[in-house]
Amino acid sequence: MRPRRRALLALGIGLLAVPSVAPAQDGDAPPPLGEPRPFDLPETERFTLENGLTVTLVPYGRTPKATVRLVLPTGNVDEAADEIWLADLTGDLVQEGTTSRDAEEVATEAAAMGGSLSLGVGTDRTSVGGDVLQEFAPDMVRLIADVVRNPDLPASELDRLKDDRIRRLSVSTRQPGTLTRAEFLERLYPDHPYGRMLPTTAMIEGLSHDRVRTFWERHYGPDGAHLYIAGRFDADAVRDAAGDAFEDWTAEGDQAAPTASAADAADIVFVERPDASQSTLHLGLPVVDPSHEDYVALQVTNALLGGSFASRITGNIREDKGYTYSPQSSVSSRYRTAYWVQTADVTSDVTGPALEEIFHEIERLRSEPPPEEELDGIRNYLAGLFVLQNSSRGGIVGQLSFLDLHGLTESYLTGYVDRVHAVTPEEVQRIARTYFRPDDMLLVVTGDPEVALPQLRSFGTVEVVEPAAP
Amino acid sequence: MARKAQLGLAAALALTAWACGGDPDARAGLSVPVTYDSLDNGLRVVLSEDHTAPTATVALYYDVGFRVEPEGRTGFAHLFEHMMFQGSENLGPMEFVRMVQENGGVLNGSTRHDFTNYYEIVPAHTLERILWAEADRMRGLRITEDRLANQRDVVKNEVRVNVLNQPYGGFPWLDLPQVAFENWHNAHNFYGDFTDLDAATLEDVQAFFDRYYAPNNAVLVVVGDFESERTMEWIRDYFGDIPRGPATERPDVSEPRQEAEKRETRTDPLANRPAVALGYRMPERGSADYWAMGLLDQILLQGDDAWLHQALVQRRGLTGSVSGGVNAQLGNLYNSGGPTLWTASLIHDPGVSTDSIVAVVDSVVERARTDLVDPETLERARTKARSALYDEIDAFFGFGLADLLASFALFDDDPARVNEIDATFQDVTAEQLQRTAREYLRPTNRTILTLEPESTSEGGSR
Repeated sequence: MRPRRRALLALGIGLLAVPSVAPAQDGDAPPPLGEPRPFDLPETERFTLENGLTVTLVPYGRTPKATVRLVLPTGNVDEAADEIWLADLTGDLVQEGTTSRDAEEVATEAAAMGGSLSLGVGTDRTSVGGDVLQEFAPDMVRLIADVVRNPDLPASELDRLKDDRIRRLSVSTRQPGTLTRAEFLERLYPDHPYGRMLPTTAMIEGLSHDRVRTFWERHYGPDGAHLYIAGRFDADAVRDAAGDAFEDWTAEGDQAAPTASAADAADIVFVERPDASQSTLHLGLPVVDPSHEDYVALQVTNALLGGSFASRITGNIREDKGYTYSPQSSVSSRYRTAYWVQTADVTSDVTGPALEEIFHEIERLRSEPPPEEELDGIRNYLAGLFVLQNSSRGGIVGQLSFLDLHGLTESYLTGYVDRVHAVTPEEVQRIARTYFRPDDMLLVVTGDPEVALPQLRSFGTVEVVEPAAP
Repeated sequence: MARKAQLGLAAALALTAWACGGDPDARAGLSVPVTYDSLDNGLRVVLSEDHTAPTATVALYYDVGFRVEPEGRTGFAHLFEHMMFQGSENLGPMEFVRMVQENGGVLNGSTRHDFTNYYEIVPAHTLERILWAEADRMRGLRITEDRLANQRDVVKNEVRVNVLNQPYGGFPWLDLPQVAFENWHNAHNFYGDFTDLDAATLEDVQAFFDRYYAPNNAVLVVVGDFESERTMEWIRDYFGDIPRGPATERPDVSEPRQEAEKRETRTDPLANRPAVALGYRMPERGSADYWAMGLLDQILLQGDDAWLHQALVQRRGLTGSVSGGVNAQLGNLYNSGGPTLWTASLIHDPGVSTDSIVAVVDSVVERARTDLVDPETLERARTKARSALYDEIDAFFGFGLADLLASFALFDDDPARVNEIDATFQDVTAEQLQRTAREYLRPTNRTILTLEPESTSEGGSR
């Protein structure tokens, strides 16, 4: 497995709290701000082919590169309970060459464009593409089309790819964050693919070539697919390439996956990791998804509570207590469902105190609205982040495919900053009361049974489990 | 026509048809504007305007990193980085962070072998205030004992979450240099032994600040949506009267030529699959060999067309991926002063020996040493290198470009060199690649680090 590229030795993108920006006594005040500059979302051109595939072009930036990405409405969500990672294995085999190019030829052609063609499988979406030098954008469109439409799916490569998946699984089951998240999701979505993060070795071994081929036939098709080209490129040539490469793509789609509903699983689960120097915490519960009217206010509330460096929980357990390095809360969205989770890796001997402080901050926000000044900082922060999220080729494609997945219109983006700024202190308190209900939260802790486990007893009945075995 | 809302940062989306796409000229290049100047106190300043989005990136690089931290104080350069957020003359502990965030920006700091950087990516109209704040903490720190104690705990938790409680946590980025290099400055545990972190005092903090955190030991870069002249005035206003620091004597960080292959095995009690890393010592920064290694990296390692990927992954199935590169996991070809390594690493199955993997690596690397690279492969390597450079320039909303400019200012006193990289790669010949491979991809110029799991049993608690 590829070691994750880390932000090493950094202050940490988690980030901090505390009121008052008053300068120290007798000090200099910071200089005034300038006039805010307008930000226009990049303009887009969009058209849909007769077979249902949508094409979006976004000219952006000055760097002579283009992001070319085909997003397919399939992913782990389409897996049955006994075939976890079938979507991933299918993606692996799709990348093993086409009926006219072997895998090395695909790699070599993409490299000659200054890119590489990669396929990533997520829970709800599968993304195929890469970043190439601008003059090669139409060629990349054609290469992607060949890969997804005419894969050779060579049976001869399947065992090697399964071995790679088994090795990756084996490594994953030793990572405390992965173990904790897998357990958390399994409890939150007990009867849905969203809850099935890790397979077993036997399960991967049992995935046949027929199953892979069938998965590709069923789930790789034009209906609901979306091709994005963002950056600098010859628009006419890209438009023509997209039409030529995809307009005669037909496939019998079978793409409706069951909608998930998350379970309120107010449990405490402890995953044993003997001698661990830290406890890895996941504390959270189901919340509303992006199509709900409370979603933006929920994001503001999350950023204030634990979702930014200047948030309350980070200020408390990192900058005041020193219990942890990178605590973070977030709202994680799937199709028509979402969950809120606070994560942290805390020194084992302060597992209990760290949880006390997290619950304390949740209760504090539920019991009183935040000061206007604190909230104003959070609103500005999210408005600033929004500009950044829409100021890179990859970010723009990410934002547009987010709308696509959740069935939102462009007004979500055009109205986003207004909605952020409209959130009041009272609304933050209402959101905290409505959605951050400690009694309904699921807590999963991976840590040392001798040191950490006894500290959890005061929070309720603890179910102790062995870590997932590959 | 896009609508504009009345907001701190107004947003509007127009789904109108548009006419012109990118420049259709084949092989479009990129030349970034570079203004390079210095103040009387020695602060070097690099400005590069880019009006694509209404944001600005401020990056302040201090010429101090892991390499020069004192013996008995491993990890101190990084611990000190954390102290820079704990209070200065006009900003209390963490007020710097809050100021950036509540103005709509993000920030971070990081410590590397040859520098420590601090950067903020902010809405353009807040630039002056951010420059004021960076100047404030260059002027002086106000750190208390409890802030030092707090950040010592935070840093220990950082080491735990990244290394001590993670399988393959220090592999190979933290472990390999300790084996590959002879000179203590290059070969110590730069994340820090806990005993050394515990020994650090407020006096150490002040002494380190006085010695290294001075304008004549720093490069300030601003990239983004601003006007250069006005910005230069602000920089003069806020940084101009900060006094020059002492001339800093540098320890000798040079390495002798490596004459024999080194091998070492380390045990990782949290891992359950073996791994191997190979590290070859890089040529001197900026030399013809250095740039040639940049292209050899593209040919051998980067992307699925690379020879090592084809040999180890595609044809033999020994691993799912090979990672690495120049200054891998901590940076890239451009942002190390050296000595540094070119590394390749992978995780494999039990029952496959390190020797059998090294034999495959050798078969590939020897090709580069024996034969001239064919013209098509060379051209593809140049294309990949150019494209990868553009990705560095675009990385993280202007920070990537700031990092390049700061590096070429710090190490070469010539930030405009960023615009010559592509031409430099174009000039590298097949003969040069072969010469470089023969000297620097010698087996006797490398270190092989093997990671052994404590047990290869699957899952469960040990």
